[in-house]
Amino acid sequence: MKGRVSAAALILTGTLLLIMLSTAHGQIPLRDPNGRCLLECHGDPEFKEETAPGQYRTLYVDYEQFKLSVHREKLCVDCHTDVTLIPHERRPEEIHCLQCHYQGNVVGAPITERPEKYKESVHGKALQHGNPDAPDCRNCHGVHDARAPYDSLSTVYRMNIPKTCGRCHLDVYTVYLESVHGVAVTRGVPEAAVCSDCHREHDLLSPQDPRSSLYPMNVAGTCATCHANEELMHQVGISAEQVEAFKENFHGIALEFGVLRVARCTSCHEYHLILPSDDPRSSVHPENLAQTCGQCHPNATDNVAKGKFHLIPSNPEAGIVFWVSQFFKWLTISVLAGLFLHILLDLYGRLRHKATGG
Amino acid sequence: MSTEAHLDELQTVERLNLQVRIQHGLLMISVILLILTGLALLFRESSFGKVLIELEGGFEMRGTLHRAAALLLIFVAFYHLCYILFSRRGHEEFLQIMPRARDFKDWLQMLAYDVGISIQKPKLDRYSYREKFQYWAFVLFTLIMILSGIVLWQHDRLFGLLPKWSFDVAIAVHGGTGTLILIVLTLWHLYIVHLGPGRFPIDWSFWNGRISLKQLQEEHPLEYERLAVQELPARKARRDSAPRPTREEDG
Repeated sequence: MKGRVSAAALILTGTLLLIMLSTAHGQIPLRDPNGRCLLECHGDPEFKEETAPGQYRTLYVDYEQFKLSVHREKLCVDCHTDVTLIPHERRPEEIHCLQCHYQGNVVGAPITERPEKYKESVHGKALQHGNPDAPDCRNCHGVHDARAPYDSLSTVYRMNIPKTCGRCHLDVYTVYLESVHGVAVTRGVPEAAVCSDCHREHDLLSPQDPRSSLYPMNVAGTCATCHANEELMHQVGISAEQVEAFKENFHGIALEFGVLRVARCTSCHEYHLILPSDDPRSSVHPENLAQTCGQCHPNATDNVAKGKFHLIPSNPEAGIVFWVSQFFKWLTISVLAGLFLHILLDLYGRLRHKATGG
Repeated sequence: MSTEAHLDELQTVERLNLQVRIQHGLLMISVILLILTGLALLFRESSFGKVLIELEGGFEMRGTLHRAAALLLIFVAFYHLCYILFSRRGHEEFLQIMPRARDFKDWLQMLAYDVGISIQKPKLDRYSYREKFQYWAFVLFTLIMILSGIVLWQHDRLFGLLPKWSFDVAIAVHGGTGTLILIVLTLWHLYIVHLGPGRFPIDWSFWNGRISLKQLQEEHPLEYERLAVQELPARKARRDSAPRPTREEDG
């Protein structure tokens, strides 16, 4: 408490000093309470520390970006709380977003259960296990330039998410850019699936985890968030019944009952290199189907391409399967009716002749 | 108690021999198992189907049971084929159950008689249009089920041989025929074995193989007449020469 008061007092006096010393063409608005930090040191693009001989780490803060960030109203010391004296003598401790972004905080930091989910995620777990490359909040959301997800310049804005993830997952990113989803994102289609639509954001779990959106039993449901959306699928010109058809078919039924070795959407359509079936590079292009099905069915030949996929037997588009289903439907109805009628007639005949003694 | 309830030598005759009864028994076991395990898959989303799957030991066990029952069906079908090909009795019976043009006439005649257009009841033989229809419909059903079932069972082997659509057709055919069999078998058995006149609660002929002379006379008059001329007098003579068995009651 005392530290806070003295820090505030310092800042106040510092600010007053700055106002008195202000020059008309200064880069940093001197009325700003953060001005002291910037003017003294962190506003200088050349400001850096030597981490190893000949290696430097910049300590510069782009204040213009900070003033456009979600934290624009905050003071440097709001987060760097251990800085009680400017210039600070020691290197400030690592700060953590949970300092403010926790349930019930009084500074109005937006909070969902997300930080908790992050701890469960592959990234959070990796961090806990001491992986120095594991990302925490800052790696995706930015540091001083953290912007809101709806801000098109934000690293976590929908259309920028692939690029943000790609900073670490470069190989996947390059493959994704080739895919139907990646191409759409590049073209600026906001509905196109980005990393987080399938992998989720904070609760990004390993596909082996039953809670994961990509656990075998959950894959179809994950794809269905877009691919069962009539309006959206109409826009891109594909059927919104694909997922439903999958669930009603042998693979989908087995999966529903926990047979994990069977094919799910991604087994045939690929994980990241998802391409339309008319693209020769696609795993579901007729020419490539023998190989794709062959992953599980070693005897597969080009015969697997002779037929339709994602059939709904009650839908005329199912072709021969539709007609066979219709035939059996009407055959069953007529046999049922005919048999009933025959039994009734037989009964009627017997009773009538019994009554008449015939 | 009616007369036909007695298993008296004079009042009942054997209609189904032990061979046929054993074949029918094995068929019954396999078809009931097949229907229960098949229905479980067909109605997997309803609570009825879920209970069935639970009872059958889970989803994969259900499939294993279904295939085990299918093997039994295939065995019975093969056994039956041997029976009609290589056994004298089986062969004779098979010849009798072959469809003839007369069966169709009999059927029309019976319909006319039932509704009262005609007063002449068709004279039916040992195997009438009804038995023939049951038998041949079931032969056809079984062939379809075994064939489509093998395509589905052995899909991994057949993947290179058959086009993709044939597996989809096999699924539709297998499900469609299965449903049809269930309906026909249930309804027809309910009528001829359980609920039909004189049958309630159950006609035990599938177990003891016997049919009452009264029923024989009513439903298979031609066979009855043959029997009455050839066999019954001999039997009567046999019975009269032997000491009369004591009876609890006389209907």
